[in-house]
Amino acid sequence: MLRIRLHGRGGQGIKTASQILGTAAHLAGFQAQDFPLYGAERRGAPITAYARVSKNIVLERGAIAQPDILLIGDETLLSDPLASVTEGTESSTLIFINSRHPSPDLKKHYQLESLPVQLDISGLCQKYIQKPMILSTALAAVGVRLMGHIGLHHLLKAIRDELGQERLSADQLANNLKLAEEAFQKVPSFDLEFRKFDDGFSASHLVVLERRPPVDSVPVIFATGNMALRKTGNWRTHRPVIHYEECNGCAICYARCPEGDIRMDANEKPVIDYDHCKGCLICATECPKHAIEIIREVASWN
Amino acid sequence: MTASILDSVEESKYKKVTDLNPQEEIAPGSALCAGCGGLEGMRLAMKVLGEDTLICNAAGCFTLISVYPFTPLKGSWLYTSMSGPVPAAQGARDALDIRMAKHGLDQKENMQVMVVAGDGATYDMGLSPTSAAIHRNLDFIYFCYDNEAYGNTGFQQSGSSPLGSYTMTSPSTLDHPAGSERSKKDLFGIWMAHNPPYLATVSPREPIDLSNKFKKAKDMKGPRLFICLSPCPTGWGFDPKETHLIAKLAVDTGIFPIKEFVNGKVIHTKRPRKRLPVEKYLERQKRFKHLFEPERRDDIIAQIQNNVDTYWEQYDE
Repeated sequence: MLRIRLHGRGGQGIKTASQILGTAAHLAGFQAQDFPLYGAERRGAPITAYARVSKNIVLERGAIAQPDILLIGDETLLSDPLASVTEGTESSTLIFINSRHPSPDLKKHYQLESLPVQLDISGLCQKYIQKPMILSTALAAVGVRLMGHIGLHHLLKAIRDELGQERLSADQLANNLKLAEEAFQKVPSFDLEFRKFDDGFSASHLVVLERRPPVDSVPVIFATGNMALRKTGNWRTHRPVIHYEECNGCAICYARCPEGDIRMDANEKPVIDYDHCKGCLICATECPKHAIEIIREVASWN
Repeated sequence: MTASILDSVEESKYKKVTDLNPQEEIAPGSALCAGCGGLEGMRLAMKVLGEDTLICNAAGCFTLISVYPFTPLKGSWLYTSMSGPVPAAQGARDALDIRMAKHGLDQKENMQVMVVAGDGATYDMGLSPTSAAIHRNLDFIYFCYDNEAYGNTGFQQSGSSPLGSYTMTSPSTLDHPAGSERSKKDLFGIWMAHNPPYLATVSPREPIDLSNKFKKAKDMKGPRLFICLSPCPTGWGFDPKETHLIAKLAVDTGIFPIKEFVNGKVIHTKRPRKRLPVEKYLERQKRFKHLFEPERRDDIIAQIQNNVDTYWEQYDE
C-alpha cells in the first residue's frame, strides 16, 4: 500500500486533489481510498486530505500517521506548529513542497530529514487557470507522478471525471488538463515500492483514563475577548500592504474589514494586525486611493 | 418615543466612517471564513450596542464566533438550537427583569438581549417562536445574518434562498433548470404584519446606515428586528475580496432594498437612484452561473428582474 497525505488550506482544492488522486489510481487498476479531514473551520484554515492506493483491498481506515508521500500545497503551513505537517515523516518519506525556494534551501530552513521535491505549482496554476492557489489539479498531478505506476491518460481521465462535477466551463476544463500535463512532466517519477499490506499496521490497544472529579470538566472561560489568542494570520495566502505615502486616512479599509483587524492610529492612518488578518483582501479592493498592494505570501522567510 | 429622545437621536447620527466607535467589540481570531459579510454586519452592530449585550445565538455559521475556551465577546453568549434563540432570549430577559425587581440586581447590570441567528434559523426553524415573542412584545433585538442558505452545513436551500440560485439541495437540473424555483420569503413583510416598534434591513456595505439604525433601535423597547444581507464567499461562489462589491450590487440592482419600518411606515433609507439590471449582481456569483452557461437563461433572469421591478413599483414616487 502507498499512503499519501495532502496538506493545504480550505478553499485551495486539497480535498479535490485527493479525489483526483484516488480516481486516477482506481482507473489504473488499483484499489483506492481518499477522504479529507477538517474541523469546524473554513476557507483559509489548515486542512488535511488522505489517499491510500493498494494492489489489494484497502482495509485500513482513518488518518494516515506515517505517509509514504507528503504533498504540501501551501508552504506557509510548515511554519505553523499546529498544522503538524511533517508529523510522522521518516527519512524515506517523499516530501513535495509547492514553493519558489530551491529544494536544498527548503530542507535546511524547515529542518527536513530528506531533500524535498520542489516545484512552484502556484506559478503553473497562475499560468493556466489564473488562480495561483486553486491547487487541486496541479497537486494531484504531482502526486500521481511522484508515486509512479499511473499513466498520464489515467490522470487526465480522473481530472475530467472529478472536475466534471464542479461545473467548470469547457475552456476551464481544457486549461486544467494542460496544467496537469505540465505539472506531471515537471516532476520526476519515483515508482515507489508498495509497502506490504500489514506494514506498520498494529492493533489498537485500550487506554485507561484516570478517574477525575466532575468539577474538572466544568467549562470555564478565564477572560473575555480571549479569542484574540488564536492567531488566524497564517490563513493568509496573500498579504495586503499599505503604502502610506498614498494613503489619505479615509478609514474605508478600517470600516470594511470584517475581522476588525485594521485600526486607525494616532495619526489617523490605518494599521493592519497581521497576526489575525485572514487575507480576504477586502481592504485592498475597497481602498479608493488604491494604496493597498497585494503580495503573495511565500513563507515567513525570504 | 418622545420628541426629546428623537432629537437626541438626530443629533448623534453617524455621518462618516470615522464617527464609528473605534473600539472593536468582537475580538479577532474567530474561525469564520475570510471575507464573511455576516461578521462585518455584526461587528458594526456591536460597535453601536457595546459590551452590555447578551447574545442568544442559534446554531449556524456563527457557532464559530465562540469556540470554547475562547470567546471574542466581552458580554455573555448563550448558544441554542436552531429554533431556540428567541425562547432563550425570553428566559434571559425575564431573569434579568426578575432579579432587578426582586433580588436587588443593580440597574447598571442590566443588559440588552440580542438574538443572533442565520437565515435557516430565522426563516424556517425559529419562525414560530419568533412570531410568538413579537406578539408578546418581548424586549429584545433580533439580528439575522442572511446568507440565503444553510451555510454552516454546506449550503443547502433555506426559505431565504432566492429564485434561480443553486444550492446543494436545489441544483440546476434538466427538470429544474432554475435551481431554487421559489422566491425568498418576504420575512420583512411577515415581521411587519406583527407591527413591531422597529424593523430594518441593513447591509454591511452601508456602515453609516447600519449604525444609525442600531443606534435608533438601541434606545427603544420591545421587539426590534434586523435583516442583514450577508454575502457569503464560500456559498455564493465569489472571491472573498468582493464581499462588499456584491453587497453593493445587491443594493444598486434593487434586489436587496434597504429600509426600515417605524411608526407604521416603510421608509427606504438607501434608495438606488437608477437600478442596475439584476444580471450585474447575478453574473458575479457561482450560485447563479447556470443562468449564463452553457446557455443564457433569459427567461429566468427576466423573472428575477420582473420580481425586483414589481417590488419597487409599489414604492414609486
